[in-house]
Amino acid sequence: MEDFDVIIIGGGSAGLAALKHISALGKQAILIESGKEIGSKNVSGGILYSKNKEYGQVHNVEDIYGQKFLEEEPYERRITKYILNATSKDKVCSIDLTSIHDFQSNFGCSVLLNKLNTWFAKEAQEEAQKQGGGIVTGVHVKNIKWNNENTPIELDGGKQNSSTYDNSLIVETDELEEFRSRAIIAADGVNSEIASLLRAREKFSPDQLYQGVKVVIKLPEEIIEKRFEIGPDEGAAHLFSGDISLNQVGGGFLYTNRDSISIGGVYHLSSLLENPVEPDQLVNSLINNPLVKDLIQDEVPIKNIEKNLSKEEQTKKSFTISKLIRTWNELREIYYSPKNREKTIANGKFKSIEEIKDKINTTRRRLVEEFNTKFVTNYVELEYSAKVVPDGKRCMMNKPYYKNVLFVGDAAGRGIFLGPRIEGLNVGMDDAVRAAKTIIKYIKNNLTDPNIGEIYSQSIHESPYTRDMKKIDKDYLKVLLKAVKKIPLEDLGAKNNFLIRCMSNDFLRNFAVSTINKVGFYKFLSFVESPKIYIDIPILLAEKLGRKINTSTKFDIPELSERISKLKYYEDNNSHIIVTKPQIEFMKKMTVLCPTKCYSIEDQNVVIQHEGCIECGTCSKETSWKHPRGEKGIFFKYG
Amino acid sequence: MIENKKLSDLEDGNNSNSYHHMLVIIEVVDGVVLPVNYEMLGEARRLMDFFNKQYNSNEKVIAVVLGQNIKDLCNELINYGADVVVYADDPNLRYMVNQTSTKVISSIAMDKDIISKISPDFVNHYKKPRYMFFAADSIGRHLSATVLAELDSGLASDVNKLEISDLEIKHQHKTKGNALKYGKVLEMYRPDFSGFLWTTILCLDNKNPEIRRDFHPQACSIIPGAFAPLEPDPKRKGQLIEFTPKFDKKDLKIKVLNRSIDKDKIDFDSFKIVISFGKGIKEFPEDNIKLIETLSKLTGAEIGISLPLSKKIFKLDEKINSKYMIPGRVIGTSGRKITPKIYIAIGISGAIQHIEGMKEAEFVIAINTDENAPIINECDIFIKGKMEDVLPVLIEEIKRIISPLEVQAKRK
Amino acid sequence: MSLNVAVIVKLEPDFSEGNISYNADGTLNRAETKSKLGAHSSVACLAAFYAKVNYGANISVATMGPPMSEIALSEAQSICDADSLHLYTDRIFASADTLATAEVLKKGIQKMKENENENNNGIDIIFSGHRASDGETGQTGPQTAWKLGYPFFGNVIDYHLNLKDRVVTLKRLVVLNGMDNIIEEIESPLPVFIALDPSYKPSFTTLSSRLKATIFEKNAEKKVANFKSYLKMFDHNSLELDPKEVGLSGSPTIVYKVERIPKGKMNRKAEIIDGRDRNQIKNIAEKILILNGQYGRS
Ligand SMILES: Cc1cc2nc3c(=O)[nH]c(=O)nc-3n(C[C@H](O)[C@H](O)[C@H](O)COP(=O)(O)OP(=O)(O)OC[C@H]3O[C@@H](n4cnc5c(N)ncnc54)[C@H](O)[C@@H]3O)c2cc1C
Ligand SMILES: Cc1cc2nc3c(=O)[nH]c(=O)nc-3n(C[C@H](O)[C@H](O)[C@H](O)COP(=O)(O)OP(=O)(O)OC[C@H]3O[C@@H](n4cnc5c(N)ncnc54)[C@H](O)[C@@H]3O)c2cc1C
Ligand code: SF4
Repeated sequence: MEDFDVIIIGGGSAGLAALKHISALGKQAILIESGKEIGSKNVSGGILYSKNKEYGQVHNVEDIYGQKFLEEEPYERRITKYILNATSKDKVCSIDLTSIHDFQSNFGCSVLLNKLNTWFAKEAQEEAQKQGGGIVTGVHVKNIKWNNENTPIELDGGKQNSSTYDNSLIVETDELEEFRSRAIIAADGVNSEIASLLRAREKFSPDQLYQGVKVVIKLPEEIIEKRFEIGPDEGAAHLFSGDISLNQVGGGFLYTNRDSISIGGVYHLSSLLENPVEPDQLVNSLINNPLVKDLIQDEVPIKNIEKNLSKEEQTKKSFTISKLIRTWNELREIYYSPKNREKTIANGKFKSIEEIKDKINTTRRRLVEEFNTKFVTNYVELEYSAKVVPDGKRCMMNKPYYKNVLFVGDAAGRGIFLGPRIEGLNVGMDDAVRAAKTIIKYIKNNLTDPNIGEIYSQSIHESPYTRDMKKIDKDYLKVLLKAVKKIPLEDLGAKNNFLIRCMSNDFLRNFAVSTINKVGFYKFLSFVESPKIYIDIPILLAEKLGRKINTSTKFDIPELSERISKLKYYEDNNSHIIVTKPQIEFMKKMTVLCPTKCYSIEDQNVVIQHEGCIECGTCSKETSWKHPRGEKGIFFKYG
Repeated sequence: MIENKKLSDLEDGNNSNSYHHMLVIIEVVDGVVLPVNYEMLGEARRLMDFFNKQYNSNEKVIAVVLGQNIKDLCNELINYGADVVVYADDPNLRYMVNQTSTKVISSIAMDKDIISKISPDFVNHYKKPRYMFFAADSIGRHLSATVLAELDSGLASDVNKLEISDLEIKHQHKTKGNALKYGKVLEMYRPDFSGFLWTTILCLDNKNPEIRRDFHPQACSIIPGAFAPLEPDPKRKGQLIEFTPKFDKKDLKIKVLNRSIDKDKIDFDSFKIVISFGKGIKEFPEDNIKLIETLSKLTGAEIGISLPLSKKIFKLDEKINSKYMIPGRVIGTSGRKITPKIYIAIGISGAIQHIEGMKEAEFVIAINTDENAPIINECDIFIKGKMEDVLPVLIEEIKRIISPLEVQAKRK
Repeated sequence: MSLNVAVIVKLEPDFSEGNISYNADGTLNRAETKSKLGAHSSVACLAAFYAKVNYGANISVATMGPPMSEIALSEAQSICDADSLHLYTDRIFASADTLATAEVLKKGIQKMKENENENNNGIDIIFSGHRASDGETGQTGPQTAWKLGYPFFGNVIDYHLNLKDRVVTLKRLVVLNGMDNIIEEIESPLPVFIALDPSYKPSFTTLSSRLKATIFEKNAEKKVANFKSYLKMFDHNSLELDPKEVGLSGSPTIVYKVERIPKGKMNRKAEIIDGRDRNQIKNIAEKILILNGQYGRS
């Protein structure tokens, strides 16, 4: 059997950071990812932060990947404008929260995880190969066992007397022969099979999870800049709460990427279970918001093929139109992007910007005149995606390890939800560095130190992020309240007003916050994250203070089935999910809450059609849930 | 013999009497002659009957069979239209291994002893067969290529229409730009990759003196299902000739170690009709499946399903479940892409993933209660109604047509 | 105990929607349609790559075609980390049918033996794809094999080598009409010609071999950046080919005519029929039986 020192399971941003760091410190590590390619299984909102924490050091993306990260810009845009929008019908009340965004941050940038993780992987792979390690994709870890035990572990997390065991682990995968490892970093995400397999923690419950659903929308670069009133080096982030949430606890987001927009919502799973709403409807309600409509609309060609032609002619015509539309799109991508323009002119394809413009116009004219194509105001979706997000304050693992298996990132339930903001990417990467450092020490101790887990756990507890998951930061609250202060609160009614006034008072706030933190932050969650805060107040705000937005734009929002049919799957006949409790309420609700409608009720039993599964994890709690075999399942092109 | 020649023969070139007969290469797998071989024999018979009449000659359809213990199959080939069956029966030919089969077939094609047994008249000048047929399948496609490389001639593959005619050809290379007559040319039609066009391939001798070269046999591989077999006639007479193959020692080092059969795969490709059903059976699943079975028996159809049914969503007899509600029957992106002549979609809404699997069917009939079901855009006939009502009538009508026909057949 | 493999590839138009373009008269617009390494060819490259990673093979990739076919060679190199690229290009090779193409490839592969592998057995395995998507019919491979005297194996889905005894064991997928699919396991001494089934995937079974593969992938990337330095061009002279044997002159077959298939598929336009109308159902019953050949003539 082959032997390795360190195996990292999962190639999301956390796992990759671990690989990069261990390798940078000169040791061999191998990362195993089940997706066909790195980045194909990862979904985020998302904004990647680089933080400058007051209470200790964190390891930021640029610390891990160096200046190259800033030079090669695998991210989309630096966020320079951060706005909260309270909505009610056609009214929107916008509050500038850029100060909140900047709070203890070096920067925050919008990212698309396929691109970002692919870049991380390129860097990590290069470093790892120097040490004889690397990245292996398309391999799904299905079991881990310790060498001296034949059966999978059936013990409570970490409670075993650690000095007595043979610490080498045997890793079983669906694709490769078994191999041995002396330590494992489990970076296998929020739906960690490794955690369940080892019983290192319970599966996350709905109360601990948010369901994130997202659509990536195409929009040319400079059109984005014009719409959002930002410069080429700037980006905007909008958050939404109010009626767009269809009465759910949570909110919507809209982030500008380089030449696309990420738009979606993140909603508390408990809230969704209480009052189920289709996830795609939540995205639609945001897309249908008049403010959003104005921001994302574009000119969209509609193919029109005469029905009375023969199939052959139709096919040919259709292909020719597709090709023209593609050309038109590509030209626009060039025309509206300074970098692309420059490149295209430099390589002699076009002589001038005007020539590109001309070509766009002639292509468009051809489409209209020769092929009867109509151009309408609409928007273009590139990808629909979903994933559950762990709310760290409710679910982070207190001891994020089991023997010599260390959990990082989402797998350890580590994510920060602070009001409207999510931080998971930066937290996972920081965890990864801590795990990497622990592993390096461990290797120096000949891979035998039974305390490896404890050492890692301590390091995690020193992380300022852990603190953020436990306590309200009174300074953060102060900045938040300051931002909100400009709003004439008188209009909001006495009760709410009073609360905000009290909190704006330094003394009262500090007192309240320290009391809350003493008693336990999590005990107040039902108050803080209540429908009142997330829905009622924003609606009130919008109605009383919002500006009315008139838009006559009508969107042709794709049906869910159309969204699904555009997704890329590598199908597997075998289902990775098995329904074990076909009659319980939870499962019945999945027929509504599964973002791709994989569940239906037949003969009073809930059955799954796994082919459409996008592996979000919403149904994980009450099913036998595994990731698909290597290379199989959903393949996100944007993520 | 020269005297017997017709005009077109004379213009056919010097070697026109070096090439005779039509060889049909038969594939025997596990003791069974593949259906496509009967179809090839049918077409070969039709063409050679025409040929012999047209050119007043007597050339044969020669079936060539390799295998082990295959002698008993030979008569069957005669019943299906062969004049002669040349067989090589040898343990080393138990499986069709390309290397050995190619050599044996090529030897048979050029064997003068065999020709002397079939038509002693031809033997003096005989070089190679005139025409050759292979099946366009996993065996025949490759075999045709290697045999023709050995015989040094040309080949059209995936053919679905054939004619023999005399043609005037003007070709820069073949005839140096002159219009020359070619006799007894096999016109080989094959659908091109787009499926919309027919390309006709000819295999012609180079008559251009600068590059003079003969290209015979004119050979092709034939798409299964393209031609109809003849009704077997047990009274047909023919000649059986045994050929004793010789093998290169080196070639016998190629060994078939193991063969396993992949049973899960439903053989949709062999069926002209596929009848599929979907969730629309839900009200009376058991009864509806019975109706669908009856319909499929009457029409000789294979049965497909939509994806949800493969999840065994109905409480049904385990026999029915394990027969029909299986992934192997799913039509669509998660299942099979099929191209039958007729596709009947019963209680299937026509989701895009399903359409992907059947849109290349030639003629599509849907039975559905809902006129807004997307299948309506992908079918030629949409029967609006409940299958519970439509199927019994359809079955009855089919029975009404078929039974008098059967009676007629009996009377003949 | 070195292993030398050759891969035969082909440049093909990209027929996918959004890439292909047609002229107004319905013919393929070759100028507007991009070309790329054929899908089946890339499968052949994967098989060669497997030989590189697992058996340390030296890989040569070859294609016959116009000069722009070098695109196919560079794409092939990026898949299999090829050590040399051979382009057989000559005006007189144009419009060759399979037999004439096989003649060129035969000479080319014989040349590989002479040039690169002086003190060993020559090319041990030749890989090709199943077929090309633009009309070529999967005969070039077997014909090249035959001309070279290599046993040919088609539809190969897996293979392993025993380098010591110079024996290959391989699995082929045999699909026959009217039969269950058969998986056939065969053993043969080298050299051999292997045409891969489209479903072939390299079967790396250990983590270390997968790791090794990633290193070769990286190497390939580096090589491709400079692929022209691996490229050798040959014409009929340098291949010592008789012009009569190649191109149109060496082709037994010609395309005599191209015509529309008469009953070309029409667009489907559903005729809607009321399920209660017995007469109509009767017509459909007839239609089914006619199409099915059970009744009348179609
Ligand atoms: C809608 C949404 C918005 C968000 N917004 C933000 C934001 O703005 N800012 C922010 O910082 N964070 C945000 N997050 C959270 C952030 O995206 C996640 O915290 C982060 O992506 C988690 O990274 P990870 O590496 O821990 O896990 P993942 O990215 O989930 O990676 C786990 C990997 O492990 C692989 N894997 C799993 N099991 C196995 C196995 N058995 N064998 C092999 N491989 C396996 C998976 O294929 C996957 O690639 C958001 C999340 C969502 C869903
Ligand atoms: C990634 C992915 C891959 C997929 N792959 C496939 C695939 O390969 N193949 C596939 O089939 N599906 C596939 N699907 C599923 C597909 O999207 C549809 O869900 C499925 O095809 C619907 O099956 P159905 O038509 O049987 O059921 P339904 O959509 O429920 O349709 C039932 C139909 O029956 C009709 N009906 C009801 N009662 C009667 C009656 N008494 N008589 C006549 N008609 C009646 C109804 O009007 C309705 O149109 C896939 C889905 C995904 C997400
Ligand atoms: S079936 Fe898949 S997509 Fe649906 S809820 Fe479960 S994990 Fe998410």
